[in-house]
Amino acid sequence: MSEHQPTGRAILQASDVHVFAGSRTLLSAVDIEVRAGECLGVVGESGSGKSMLMKAVLGLLPAGTSSTGEVWFDGTRIDGWDERQMRAIRGRRLSLLLQDPFTMLNPLQSIGVTIAESLRSDQRLSRAARRAEVERRLTEVGIDPAVASKRPFQLSGGMRQRVAIAAALAADPDVLVADEPTTALDVRTQHEILELLTALRRDRGMALVLITHDLRVAFDMCDRVTVMYAGGVIEEAPAAALEGGALHPYSLGLMLAEPPVAHYAATLNAIPGSVPDHDDVKNRCSFAERCAWSTSSCTDSRPALREVAERRRTSCGRIETIADELVSARATATRSESRPAVDAGPALLTVTDIRKTFHTARLAGASVANVALDGVSFSLAEGESLGLVGESGSGKTTIARAVLGLSTPDSGTIQLAGHDISRFRHLSRRDLRDVRRLVQVVFQDPYASLNPALTIGAALREAVDMRGDAADPDAEVKEALARVSLPASYAAKYPSGLSGGERQRVSIARALCMKPRLLICDEPVAALDVSVQAQILELLREIHRDVGMAMLFITHDLAVVRQVTERVIVLSRGVVVEAGRTDDVLDDPQDAYTRSLVDAVPGRASHAPAEPDRVSAVGTDV
Amino acid sequence: MTITATISKIRRSRRARPGSVLVSASWCMIGLIVLVVIAGPWIAPHDPNAQDPLLSVTSPSFAHPFGTDQLGRDILSRLIVGTRAAMFGPICVAVASIVLGLFFGMIAGFRGGWADTVIARTADILYCLPALLIAIVVVGLISGSYLVTIAVLIFLTFPYDVRIIRSVTMVEARLPYVDAARTLGVSGPKTMVRHILPNIMPTAVATLLLEFAGSLVGFSALAFLGLGVQAGSADWGSILADGQEQLFVNPAMALAPATLLILVAASVTIVGDSFYDRYSAKGARDE
Repeated sequence: MSEHQPTGRAILQASDVHVFAGSRTLLSAVDIEVRAGECLGVVGESGSGKSMLMKAVLGLLPAGTSSTGEVWFDGTRIDGWDERQMRAIRGRRLSLLLQDPFTMLNPLQSIGVTIAESLRSDQRLSRAARRAEVERRLTEVGIDPAVASKRPFQLSGGMRQRVAIAAALAADPDVLVADEPTTALDVRTQHEILELLTALRRDRGMALVLITHDLRVAFDMCDRVTVMYAGGVIEEAPAAALEGGALHPYSLGLMLAEPPVAHYAATLNAIPGSVPDHDDVKNRCSFAERCAWSTSSCTDSRPALREVAERRRTSCGRIETIADELVSARATATRSESRPAVDAGPALLTVTDIRKTFHTARLAGASVANVALDGVSFSLAEGESLGLVGESGSGKTTIARAVLGLSTPDSGTIQLAGHDISRFRHLSRRDLRDVRRLVQVVFQDPYASLNPALTIGAALREAVDMRGDAADPDAEVKEALARVSLPASYAAKYPSGLSGGERQRVSIARALCMKPRLLICDEPVAALDVSVQAQILELLREIHRDVGMAMLFITHDLAVVRQVTERVIVLSRGVVVEAGRTDDVLDDPQDAYTRSLVDAVPGRASHAPAEPDRVSAVGTDV
Repeated sequence: MTITATISKIRRSRRARPGSVLVSASWCMIGLIVLVVIAGPWIAPHDPNAQDPLLSVTSPSFAHPFGTDQLGRDILSRLIVGTRAAMFGPICVAVASIVLGLFFGMIAGFRGGWADTVIARTADILYCLPALLIAIVVVGLISGSYLVTIAVLIFLTFPYDVRIIRSVTMVEARLPYVDAARTLGVSGPKTMVRHILPNIMPTAVATLLLEFAGSLVGFSALAFLGLGVQAGSADWGSILADGQEQLFVNPAMALAPATLLILVAASVTIVGDSFYDRYSAKGARDE
């Protein structure tokens, strides 16, 4: 096992990389270096240019973009190579693993063919040897070799990602570039895939470039981390050193913005604003306007990336002055706090034994039944915040849709403030109007939640009008925008002119216009960047606290559940497996499924080292 | 020093891009037609119905750029004045089809269930019928009123629009903003008009334009066969039919209306395509 030590020889190196799209600059003066056998994490939010950087290095830039800069692979300069030359190393010595396991495998090819296709072409293998090789590869990534005859749509997301890994590694590359390889996966599957990648890297002595938005994942996996922001590198450091203390306010902000999973935090540390375009900040520190420590010197010129300590580089021009302040800011921010007590009122929502089965028709034969909810009961008190936690397919969204009247359960009852809403169709017109005013929703996808043809003002006005008792609707629209910290001028804008976080604020404002007593949040921050996620969570907590509105909060993220809910229900395959106070359930899970969820959260090993079973697991690994 | 853009194949969009020369030229053609429709009788160099036995079938000349027909009437003037008649039918068919298409298509796509089954299956059955063939038979049998022709073509065209509108409505209706409107208590019809309609408009307008081009050719084909012509008017299709007989004496008489038909139909199709490309991506594009 001597080969898993980074040898120190740079295998992939890029310097002064710029990427342009027409007159716009997407990436400027980026350097990266990957040493043989090491894992480099490239971390950044959307718009940081992290994927663009690797595409430029691999010669996979989309049409309409171009790049300059030097790229060296294993001692050979490869920038300027044409497609045919690149193809000789790409996939063979330099392999790429993509995010979405649902679209990257050819649906018409069996798994075996997909992998056989990626095997090294310089070795001629007999048919039997080839099949044996495919089976060996599948076993290596933990899949039953019998899967070789199946097609992608017959496999789960995690299985597909394993197949994709097997295909990416089939030619035994020296470097694997993995672009958000686990973002589309459930937390337990993510954990398994990351462990698999780590083990494969160690066994093969392969270098891994992990592109991710999640610092916790990078800390768990990587030797070194490069933090990117608005098309440039902000900080570069060994993972452990960065985890010990950031040397750039943005890296610190990213670390703090991640809601802690182990304890409740009284305030979430959002970074104000959103990621700017590179061109808007090209002549100054790109983070200056969101930085608590910025002075006029930060906006006068663009600070260069410079070495400030052993193997540590930062682009903060004032780091010598503010280093101590960053340390103390972190210490204050990560203090554990006790949760404010909420006095639960009478029951607002009571769900009793609801069941729902979806039938998928097939061309021939009987339809396929898919049980989404198998007898779920729970209740939610007035003014309480209840979390619904589970992986995809657990039925959590089906519950939300049933409460909202968007789908009808097969059996069981739903009581909301004295109304029986199990069958929305059977409600009288008056009851329906009352019920609509009781419960509102915020959906996950900020890009599809707002009608692109309506201005923000018109969308909010519609909600106010539907409530029907507004004295001054225009004033209420302004008030609603102010409530979610958006300027009144946004009323004239269309959704396409807003960032994801801003759109989600509008969705929340729209729901609040109805003055509901229950707000259902269906993964409201899952599609947002970390820094924006904290803003939205903080906003929801504020509303919950100030307005005293009950919340049904649906999420897969245990850290989010810890921060915004008082009670939690854990769902698995349409059945409630555990329920209780959020802190109790997360600190001491009773059910095996809940425990596996809690254990799979990235960054737990470092943030909560006192967890006994986790330490033993790490012990056997090393 | 350059990693050049690496897509080796030059990917060229087959669709006409907004702002391209082709699209501009198409807009000019449409503008010209609109002008002729409005001001036709005043632009025409001669009285389109003035007969002159001495000029029976002459080749193009300075006074008569496209020559004259058997009765000595000026072809250019007849084409110009006939534009109004040539456009009237296709516009009626395209507009009526898209209105019916929007009505039935949105109900089917938004409501789903039995309404969808009835509407979609009926549209499918009608769609299977060979439109022009049936038009020829029906119009031939009830001997050719122009309005009957329009009605028959509308009846045979709108199922196509229903299918298109239904499919785009189904896509929109599944988006969260439609669910959000439902949870606000917005009624079904209001959701369709206020939320879905504006978002499927690009498709509807593109379909309208394609339908116009299609029925322009359809009408001319019928007129060529002597069916469904407006009484006493100079239709492009009938000029073409008459001109066919004089192909060797005055080829311009057949070629001029044929070229005009092709140019107008192509222009409208190109504009329809570019319109769709431009506006259908509106929500997704950063502005």
